Amino acid sequence: MLEVRDLAAGYQGNDVVHDISFHVDEGEAVMIIGSNGAGKTTLFRAMCGLSRPSSGVVVFDGEEVTGMPAQRMVRKGLGFVPAERHLFPRMTVHENLSLGAYPKRPDPETMSVVVGLFPRLAERRRQHAGTMSGGEQQMLAVGRALMARPRLLVLDEPTTGLAPKLAHEAYEALAVLRSQGLTLLVAEQQVPLALAFSDRGYVLENGVISLEGTSEELAADPRVRSAYLGVT
Amino acid sequence: MTERFAEATGTSVIGGAERRSAKSLLALVVPVLVVGMLLALVPLWLGGSRVLMTVAILGLAFASYTVGFNLIFGSTGQLFLCVGALAGIGGYSAAILADTVGLPIVVSVLLATLASSLTGGLLSWIAVRRSLGVIFTGIVTLIFALAFENLLLGLGALTGGENGFLIQSGRDSFLRSRVPAFYLMLALALLFVVVHGLLRRSHVGWAFRALRDDEVAAELAGVNVARYRVYAALVGAGMLGMTGAIYALTQGRVSPTTYGFAEVDVVVVVMLAFGGIGSLFGPILGAVTFTAINEFLEGFGHLRLVPYGALIIALFLWIPRGLIPTVADWVRRRRHQQ
Amino acid sequence: MTAIVLDGIVLGLQFGLLAAGLTLVYGLGGVLNLAYGQMAVITAMTVLFAMNAGVPTLAAVAIGLVAGGLLGLIFDQTLLRPIYRRQGEARVLLSLLLTLGVAFMVDGFLNWRYPTAGLGLQISGGPIEVLGIPMRRGSIVGSVIILIVFALLFVFFKGTSLGRAVRSVIEDEEGARLVGIDPSLMLRIILIISGVLAAVVAVTQSMIRPVTVTAGFSITVFALIVTVVGGLGSVTGALLAGIILGVVNSLATSFIGTFLSLIILLVAAAVTILIRPSGLLGVRE
Repeated sequence: MLEVRDLAAGYQGNDVVHDISFHVDEGEAVMIIGSNGAGKTTLFRAMCGLSRPSSGVVVFDGEEVTGMPAQRMVRKGLGFVPAERHLFPRMTVHENLSLGAYPKRPDPETMSVVVGLFPRLAERRRQHAGTMSGGEQQMLAVGRALMARPRLLVLDEPTTGLAPKLAHEAYEALAVLRSQGLTLLVAEQQVPLALAFSDRGYVLENGVISLEGTSEELAADPRVRSAYLGVT
Repeated sequence: MTERFAEATGTSVIGGAERRSAKSLLALVVPVLVVGMLLALVPLWLGGSRVLMTVAILGLAFASYTVGFNLIFGSTGQLFLCVGALAGIGGYSAAILADTVGLPIVVSVLLATLASSLTGGLLSWIAVRRSLGVIFTGIVTLIFALAFENLLLGLGALTGGENGFLIQSGRDSFLRSRVPAFYLMLALALLFVVVHGLLRRSHVGWAFRALRDDEVAAELAGVNVARYRVYAALVGAGMLGMTGAIYALTQGRVSPTTYGFAEVDVVVVVMLAFGGIGSLFGPILGAVTFTAINEFLEGFGHLRLVPYGALIIALFLWIPRGLIPTVADWVRRRRHQQ
Repeated sequence: MTAIVLDGIVLGLQFGLLAAGLTLVYGLGGVLNLAYGQMAVITAMTVLFAMNAGVPTLAAVAIGLVAGGLLGLIFDQTLLRPIYRRQGEARVLLSLLLTLGVAFMVDGFLNWRYPTAGLGLQISGGPIEVLGIPMRRGSIVGSVIILIVFALLFVFFKGTSLGRAVRSVIEDEEGARLVGIDPSLMLRIILIISGVLAAVVAVTQSMIRPVTVTAGFSITVFALIVTVVGGLGSVTGALLAGIILGVVNSLATSFIGTFLSLIILLVAAAVTILIRPSGLLGVRE
């Protein structure tokens, strides 16, 4: 479904990531693992149209979308939830969610699915997004992206700042979405959680992909274990 | 608008500044003398026409204004859109102190300079304290400029209001004759360029460049950004005030339009942008060019604003750094290619 | 006293709508349009020329409104192209300078070609009494029109999907892109709206006193002051600040004097920037 070939991206001529190649097949849950500063955010932003890659190719559903701006990527079925979330702080939860479906009117069925996944959002329908806690904002951000019924959902560090219980809840919700056919690509710092959830993964280190494999393979790999799982 | 400071001046942060001082002093003084001598020839050409000499004197006033603005904006990035008002504080203070209060002219000018300097420093200090960015500094100083203009109009008893203030002091002195006044204003402009040049070569100049390049890095390197901003404003505003005061005395009258935003600030910004923000002689180049252009278009009345506006657009779209830096860059690049 | 306050409110509504146009463009696109006053003047001139050519008043006003919208569109398609290529502070600075250049060009040309032109719409009929004070019919009609336009704006922004989309760009531009909204399209729409608003103010202002070719820069200054106080990006803020400053201006002019009352307005704007830069209700800083 998604294929990235030799992608490079960065700021003002300096590439933060380069020679990035990976793919996500339909129905999979794929992880990009890496520590802070490895370049996950830069990669995702360039891939999903919030910034332009300096070189390389991105293909989504057989169509080349390299450098396509984010607002058009959404229409193609690629939803992106960035690390900073970018919610609309002075608009209500309901308004944020409704806008997720833009330009179409919010579909009541989709809305009920989202609210079913995140019941707390229903309670806070009229609350301004800017006044909510980190966990609730994360739920809202994911919910908003879901309103557009994406076929691929890309998430950048969805558990940042969440208490462990909330982080688990978040991944439970993602698992439910998976079972309903959503393809997922997630960048995560919290490696154990990521490996438990996903089928396959890539390790991003210093701007390049250093390892790849199934989750079992990665979990067993000694380098991964020592660097990310704290096992010596 | 920023330059890599080491490249730009050829001075090293760590050492070598002392050894270069003699050479760089010459590099400052010689161009100043050359420019000075060239401009000193102007009265030979225009001396016969009182009207044209008045235009030339105004042009030199603008050159000084622009040097002051260059110091404040070019060196430390503070967008002071109140150049006219600061000059006006100088002009009106000198007029009132000399005529109404009766102080000697020199004392009046010095006090007027002080008044402007302190006002500029105050504005800078406020901007620093409230962490106003470039835009808001611009808006606040613009507000100050407009408020000052209205203050002049409103306090008619003191300032003469709309009609302005006829200055009696210095009426019979050399100040009112065109040619000596011209040389006085020329000396002033050159003096300011020298002051600017000396500042640039000193540790103050290094601090200016550091904070203009990257404020955060400068703070970390130990530069007290706030203090240097205020310094620049104090000196720059002082230049503006002194120019405004002396100019007023050479003209014999001041009115709100002498120092208005539309009449002064807009012109100064364009002059500096044209000549080169941050460059030493940019202000002089800009002032000479635009005084000439303005004189050329004199007969067209309001229509003058049209090419003027077009020039502003063209300038900021295509050569935003100004003529001298752009040409300097181009020359440098050609030299590298060889 | 009541008369002065009422006059202030009439004036304030004008200020407010003017500021709304300016603040929307700044809040959404980070563009400071210093040629706004000239836009209003051009629309006033359009209505004037149409009327002089024999077009009935109402149709002439409609032409003026269309002209306003067109001006906004032209702005977007021409001048703002290079401005959009920059971000943040660089964008504001460039927009300030380029629109200033345009303002000069327009001002210079109009003042040279039509130095005495001015639009004044006479509203026939006697004074209308409000709270016991007889007010000129033109003031009342103008104010009612502005209130209606404000109401329309509120309905648009709160109640329509397009309006919400526009608001979302003001709230968080990247967030808007993430939900499929194209910020430059929204900005184009806002620019057209701001042009129409300028036309509305020009027309309603002309019902109270003639709008002359020389008014360009002072219109921009007033709009800027109210925008700053009301908060960047907030239409409600613009309305609120407009009314407050209108009343303040009216009171100050009556009791102190024209020049000093303008100083009070200017100081109010400066104080707002210094104490609460986001203004009364602003979003973007």
